[in-house]
Amino acid sequence: MTELLSRLTGDDNYFEDFAVGQRMRHARGTTVDEVENQLLTKLVMNTADAHFNEQRMAATPFGQRLVFGLITGSMVIGLTTQDTAENALAELGLDRLMFRAPVFHGDTLSAYTEVLETRDADRDDAGIVRFKHWGLKQDDTVVFEGEREVLVKRRSHWSAK
Amino acid sequence: MPDPDFSTFPLRAKGHAYEDFADGQVFDHHWGRTLGQGDSTLFAATALRFTPLYFNDEYARACGHPGIVVDPLLVLCTAVGLSVEDLSEAGGPFLGIGPVRFLLPVYPGDTLSARSEVVSRRESEKRPGFGIVTWRTEGRNQHGDLVVTYERTNLVAKKRAR
Repeated sequence: MTELLSRLTGDDNYFEDFAVGQRMRHARGTTVDEVENQLLTKLVMNTADAHFNEQRMAATPFGQRLVFGLITGSMVIGLTTQDTAENALAELGLDRLMFRAPVFHGDTLSAYTEVLETRDADRDDAGIVRFKHWGLKQDDTVVFEGEREVLVKRRSHWSAK
Repeated sequence: MPDPDFSTFPLRAKGHAYEDFADGQVFDHHWGRTLGQGDSTLFAATALRFTPLYFNDEYARACGHPGIVVDPLLVLCTAVGLSVEDLSEAGGPFLGIGPVRFLLPVYPGDTLSARSEVVSRRESEKRPGFGIVTWRTEGRNQHGDLVVTYERTNLVAKKRAR
């Protein structure tokens, strides 16, 4: 690239910036509407019409279409992404994903994170950070939680590139 | 009497009930899905995935990739999506998804396919009419390389509860 790579991303979220026990309340929230749950649920070939048949779901105890849990999870992780993986080289994995309450069209999600672990990687230009994420809806019900490991650039190797 | 009488048309039912699963049973899921650059950029942008690797070709190349990397959350969601009819369409929510490992980057143009094995099944104590099933799913690219693996557990309706 003709300009410095590091000018495209923030300078407060390299590996060196994360410490075990660090907590974050992420700045942005997102309302989950049809763009998120209808478009993305169908984009990924989820065939379950509990997510897209309003008439059938109106006759169930839920009373309406359900947001696909992994779309809720993706949106919550998305709300954390600039703070946790803007300078990522790779996302390595997820664990203990729990979908604790139903989410419906019109609900608004917010996200919280705690750093569980930081450790060296098998390459010296990056380290691994393990996060715990929580997603809440507007009444503060926890609807999603999970852990995530990200390979994050080290400032020492990448900030001058 | 409407003509034709639609009430006489047989239902083409989808999905499996709890009783249909046996330990060790394998499902090769339908369809596969080629993940294009538009899919990845659309998913990453809509899900607020502000990691430039997932939507900036030049940035991704400077990080050692041939171009943008498909958002791994799209890879996971697609592997799950392809498995839904076989595993979970017939009723019952997610209870959890266990260790998810992203083993190789997926690039635009790669074709993902998914395969699952039943790891365990048991009756639900809290929800009569339901069982709890855990599957291990593998997602592979067109070369047969594993790109994602995970376990997921769902509540699955029994036949009489459907």
